[in-house]
Amino acid sequence: MTAAAMTERPAAYVPKGGYRLTGAGLLRSEWTKLWSLRSTWIVLLCAVVFAAGLGALISASVPSDQGLAGADMALSFAMAGVSMSSVFIAVLGILTVTGEYTTGSIRSTMSAAPKRLGVLAAKAVVYGAVVAVLFSAMVFVTFFLSQALLDDPALSVSLGDDGVLRALFGYVAMIVYLALLAIALGSILRNSAGSIAFYIGVIMILPQLATILPWDWVADVVPYAPGNVANTLILVDTSQSTLGVGESWLWMGIWLVVAYGLAGVLLKRRDV
Amino acid sequence: MIEIEHLTKRYGKKTAVDDLTFAVKPGVVTGFLGPNGAGKSTTMRAIVGLDAPTSGLARVNGQHYSQFKSPLTEVGALLEAKSVHAGRSAYKHLLALARTHGIPAKRVHEVIDLVGLHEVAGKRVGGFSLGMGQRLGIAVALLGDPAVLILDEPVNGLDPDGVKWIRLLLKGLASEGRTVFLSSHLMSELAQTAEHLIVIGQGKLLADTTVDDFVNGSGKARVRVVSPDAARLAEHLAGPGITIASPERGVLEVSGTEAAVVGQTAAAHGLVLHELRTDRGSLEDAFMQLTADSVEYRQTVEGAK
Ligand SMILES: Nc1ncnc2c1ncn2[C@@H]1O[C@H](COP(=O)(O)OP(=O)(O)OP(=O)(O)O)[C@@H](O)[C@H]1O
Ligand SMILES: [Mg+2]
Repeated sequence: MTAAAMTERPAAYVPKGGYRLTGAGLLRSEWTKLWSLRSTWIVLLCAVVFAAGLGALISASVPSDQGLAGADMALSFAMAGVSMSSVFIAVLGILTVTGEYTTGSIRSTMSAAPKRLGVLAAKAVVYGAVVAVLFSAMVFVTFFLSQALLDDPALSVSLGDDGVLRALFGYVAMIVYLALLAIALGSILRNSAGSIAFYIGVIMILPQLATILPWDWVADVVPYAPGNVANTLILVDTSQSTLGVGESWLWMGIWLVVAYGLAGVLLKRRDV
Repeated sequence: MIEIEHLTKRYGKKTAVDDLTFAVKPGVVTGFLGPNGAGKSTTMRAIVGLDAPTSGLARVNGQHYSQFKSPLTEVGALLEAKSVHAGRSAYKHLLALARTHGIPAKRVHEVIDLVGLHEVAGKRVGGFSLGMGQRLGIAVALLGDPAVLILDEPVNGLDPDGVKWIRLLLKGLASEGRTVFLSSHLMSELAQTAEHLIVIGQGKLLADTTVDDFVNGSGKARVRVVSPDAARLAEHLAGPGITIASPERGVLEVSGTEAAVVGQTAAAHGLVLHELRTDRGSLEDAFMQLTADSVEYRQTVEGAK
């Protein structure tokens, strides 16, 4: 017979008040989680160095007597590394979600925030903001670096020129959009390898491959593919693109709503 | 207070938990016992809302877990499988969880000290031993100073010191009026910690009882007597409902009576006793008897018995 059985039962313990699960708390938590992994630092550093480095390298090696001209041409040299670098960003975005599933830390996360959706939102906001700030800086540094390295006066562009600033921020918007898409994708598939393969295969490569198919309708559809809708934003002269700037934003919004809608429904429905 | 009502959980065709109903009361340690695959972990995951029940429900203090405004201060859970990112340090893992609720870093340091992880708190969890991982899981459970604790096999991987520590810790927490619910498949372990028992097998409730009743009710209690006059004592003890065995010379094992009766009988006839004690029957025996029909993963090696 244990002692407790003979004595009165103690009154039920009442937890001390004061602590609350909040949206701000979830944001701070995701911020802590993001920066407490070594892989975050490594991948982000790689992404920035790669983008800036490749842009500078290519700008420095452009010969000046090729008749290359125009703001879009100049920007394409400066931002030559951005599409590669967006892969780093997307992969890290995927890992912030799938890493939790493969290691099991998702169980801690979701028992602290059992409504679940707030966690996905906080991940998207924190990572989106980090990528936005980092790439805003990267884009401008690379732009000026590239301008200093490009010899040809025909490729000389100023920030004040029509559409240049918009195109530079277009690069930032595109990267943030892809990062957000990657997070939703990770949340839907939950598996690192699967999500990365899907991202590279279906979002990045498939639309490019599709253009060589012989059917006309494919070419009509391809600009609306989730990996392509941001392409207008990075152009200084958008007169040739299928989607206008407004349409481009609209379609980015549509794809994010679709991706996060599906991710949210699955997150609520499935067992952790 | 944890209330489980008609909880059923199926994974595809597999029924892991089958119409389970029981309650876990505050103020005592309640053990949750069952053989491998009985559905203990599944039930615990359902309580903290990680797995949605196929039917039925699990409530904590009258509410569904996901309705709590501050889940970590209501329920602290240590779940079976590792629930930490291997690349993160123990401190940052705890800090990230604490921040969701605005719990200060001071509390994180407190629980780290409490579970004895001070030295390794800054190291990546991937390098932790089983026992260290388990201590971190206990720290997570205690982080919000919760009213209800749910611990899935907390002694798993702990050294004897650690086992003793957690036993005292859990009893202490229960005596403060908290609800403490811990699972194990070792009856002997639970008998030393828990006062109340919930036993399940193949997802079904087998027993909901106190540890004492469970042990006594197993019908295995018998009196062991060592006496130079064993043969004569046996003659005097014999009667209806009483069975007497003599495993060796001078030793009797009497069932169907009590030690007091045996002692009185001996005294009345002036017989010398060298030893007189009640064998409660092993707890594992009682447990195995109860779950005999519901053991799912039985080893099939010949002569294993
Ligand atoms: N996610 C899942 N998917 C499919 N089957 C599952 C899942 N989780 C548990 N099961 C099955 O449900 C049954 C109960 O498992 P559970 O882990 O709850 O048992 P347990 O009592 O905790 O066992 P143990 O003592 O080995 O930890 C098992 O047969 C298991 O295989
Ligand atoms: Mg288990």
